[in-house]
Amino acid sequence: MTVHTRHGDASDGALAEAVGGRLSRVDGPAKITGAAKYAVEQQLEGLAYGVLVESTIASGKVRAIDTTAAEAAPGVLRVLTPDTIISLRSASDWFGTPPPDKPYCPLARDIAFSGQHVAAVIAETFEQAAAAAALVKVSYDETPAIVDLSDGKAGDGISIDAMTKEWGDAQAAFASAPVRICAAYNTPREYQAPMEPHGLIARWEGDRLTVWEPSQWLDGMARTYAEWFGVPFENVRLVSPYIGGGFGSKALALSHGAVAACAAKMLGRPVRLVMTRPQTFTGYGGRAATRQTVTIGADHDGLIQSIVHRGVNETSIDGMWVEPLGSVTSIMYATPNFSSRQNVVRVNSVVPGAMRAPGENPSAFGIESAIDELAYEVGIDPLEIRLRNYAEQDPEAKKAWSTRQLREAFAVGAERFGWARRTPEPRSMRDGNQLIGWGVAAGTYPVRRAYGEAVVRILANGSVEVESSSIDMGQGTYTILAQTAAETVGVAADDVVVKLGDSRFPRAGVAGGSRLAGVMTGAVHKAASAALDQLVGLAISDPRSPFHALQANTLVVANGRITAPRGDGPDVSIAELLKNVGRDHIEAMGDTMPANSSAEDRYKNYTTIAMALPHTEGDYSRHSWCAHFVEVRVDEDFGTVRVSRVVSALDSGRLYNPKLAESQWKGGIIMGIGQALLEEGIMDRRHGRIVNNNLADYLVPTNADIPDIEVISVGIPDPHSSVLGGKGVGELAIVGVAPAIANAVFHATGKRVRDLPITLEKLI
Amino acid sequence: MTNTIPVHLDINGHHHELRIEPRVTLLDALRDRLGLTGTKKGCDHGQCGACTVHVDGERVLACLTLAAQAEGRAITTIEGLAREGELHPVQAAFLEQDAFQCGYCTPGQIMSAVACIREGHAGSDDEIREYMAGNLCRCGAYPHIVAAVRQAALEVAS
Repeated sequence: MTVHTRHGDASDGALAEAVGGRLSRVDGPAKITGAAKYAVEQQLEGLAYGVLVESTIASGKVRAIDTTAAEAAPGVLRVLTPDTIISLRSASDWFGTPPPDKPYCPLARDIAFSGQHVAAVIAETFEQAAAAAALVKVSYDETPAIVDLSDGKAGDGISIDAMTKEWGDAQAAFASAPVRICAAYNTPREYQAPMEPHGLIARWEGDRLTVWEPSQWLDGMARTYAEWFGVPFENVRLVSPYIGGGFGSKALALSHGAVAACAAKMLGRPVRLVMTRPQTFTGYGGRAATRQTVTIGADHDGLIQSIVHRGVNETSIDGMWVEPLGSVTSIMYATPNFSSRQNVVRVNSVVPGAMRAPGENPSAFGIESAIDELAYEVGIDPLEIRLRNYAEQDPEAKKAWSTRQLREAFAVGAERFGWARRTPEPRSMRDGNQLIGWGVAAGTYPVRRAYGEAVVRILANGSVEVESSSIDMGQGTYTILAQTAAETVGVAADDVVVKLGDSRFPRAGVAGGSRLAGVMTGAVHKAASAALDQLVGLAISDPRSPFHALQANTLVVANGRITAPRGDGPDVSIAELLKNVGRDHIEAMGDTMPANSSAEDRYKNYTTIAMALPHTEGDYSRHSWCAHFVEVRVDEDFGTVRVSRVVSALDSGRLYNPKLAESQWKGGIIMGIGQALLEEGIMDRRHGRIVNNNLADYLVPTNADIPDIEVISVGIPDPHSSVLGGKGVGELAIVGVAPAIANAVFHATGKRVRDLPITLEKLI
Repeated sequence: MTNTIPVHLDINGHHHELRIEPRVTLLDALRDRLGLTGTKKGCDHGQCGACTVHVDGERVLACLTLAAQAEGRAITTIEGLAREGELHPVQAAFLEQDAFQCGYCTPGQIMSAVACIREGHAGSDDEIREYMAGNLCRCGAYPHIVAAVRQAALEVAS
């Protein structure tokens, strides 16, 4: 393999406090001392406690709910059923599609999945509510359920034409290709399982609703609550200062939130309602189970001539979730002929949802496994075949990449991993009774862009305050916005206070699709630049300023002090200047919306995803890229697989804070290890119910499962992707991990596992 | 069940008197009755470790412990770990090594780590991984948690 590489330096070599520096998490001290109050930890006067009752059948109707015993139980304030809960209006979806003109009841009479909320008990204490909830007796008229994709009643599903991608003549090119491979790849239901369960506190004051709820999207959720209750958007306040993990699952207002808000309204008291851990497996959707077939036609040198891809994902009986399975398939490799189509199949499940890199993640499992199979078919190194088929431009959009450091990622990762020492034959590397396998796979995630607002204030004491309704669920928003404001205004990061997680602050779109950092650093940079301009303008033009006599055109602000450019004038602190000119603060609003945007456009931008910019807008196709190199050790007798080493090289463009980005990358890789080896929702086929709905039986990685992981940034600033040059970080790193592990397992054992997770019975 | 009993709890060196039902867990007593919300509820079934506290110096899952069982014993929570504003070496190491993201499992991780070091189970990276395996972290901070425990163990020993 010969690759000429330029190792991009995305870390800027910056001071810790500047953008690109390795500043420690500014919200860290609150989190390590227990001082950080998460949403449902607010202490409120008169708080009542709610516990949900869920359906125990997967399909049918509620015949009756007997609440007598529950209502008589000590401390019970109210038992809510579909008959007694107040009626709500239907709300629009996250595209902003107008809702159907019909009422919405968050407690179900018609049962479409096991675990659907059918009642709720509100009591004086949590213990009383939980005990009384167990006394609610629900009877059903049960009908046969479609358990999952493998159910004989499931059928082929509905064709989603918007997912069809075609160019060239893929079928004909495949038929005439000298080398042909075709295989089916499956991924099971997987769950986000954030450590903080979903829940909320709802409080009404007249027609104003305050909701303390972990949220990846305050303004979007506020819109939903407002529409449900028929109150103005401004009347709903969402508060979410810290979020205990989301991974896609905390972006939308859900039915349990509606139940709690109804209960608070009916009782005239604040109500706290938190899902039990088992309820989190059915209270919202995890990643849909998927099926893909990938067919590749190639020549004897491994050059791809055709890819034919067919995908299926499950959705619910009454909701629609499309997991875009062709998203990586169509862009990873140069191919002259391509066809991808997708169906969705209705099953009796909660509607699936977003989980870290929805679409790209299972898509990469298909294509990155298939190219490995092709490599073995033609006898070419798995890394070499990826380079031979390297896409020099976006094969689908036929546009130039904005930046694509994937070749560099392959080179740097291979070098650090020692890929050149790999012997290609399966079962050719071993250590005692452990078979050793080395695998590689690539990953990618599109750059999603949108608009954001932020306010930046320079206060009388010279400190800086940033406000935004965006959120920090661990990605580091507090920290990178402090760095952005500090660098732009010219103060220490310690002198910046960032306030997030309150919908009263300037608006922000969803923290999803790895877009928030790029959007919000842009907005804060704009607001901070405007605040700095005001400060310098005052210093130059105000007669009371010590700089007034200089007649300077500009001034330098650094480390909280103002000086003339050549250093030949006064040297005063920001606080002194504001005092001199009689100002108690300077405030600037920054928003990145086009200047002529209407109020309606702005509302739509912050409360729906309809205004997001396509990643192929204009002349470029924008994506993050990565290459994972994995070593597994497989016990020859027992088939147990351990990941023993990971080296990943990643291109997320410029990193705003490499320390925090590396943490997110490693976290994505670790979730990918769980996906490859452990994670799977297991259904009870008799009752259509998930069996392993808890953290002991739904296996997520533990500390003992995880080896040393090396991550290397190969990104370079990408001016087409964001104001400050970054691309997405959070979702990228999980993409490609599972196929890299599956490929390593093949190398170790000679067995190709195409059905996740790779558990020992599939190897012995 | 409406009967309440008096329970006296010694938490972080402070004495608290509660009147609660006997079925109230230590976790819910801390969080809902005493406002000590640093101890987190992740599963309520002893599966995730987020509620780890120390009772008489040993790590205990507060969700599987009734408050009444802890009467007369010394309880330490994350709020009581720093002394006079000085972070415990484990806390400082977690910040320095970026051993958390969302922060929700972090108090439990830190309480486990303090005990892990005290138990003499921080002798190697593999030993740390094993003795910290009862505390789940979905953000995937494990490699940095191992680094933080290793660093803090050296500081505590010196």
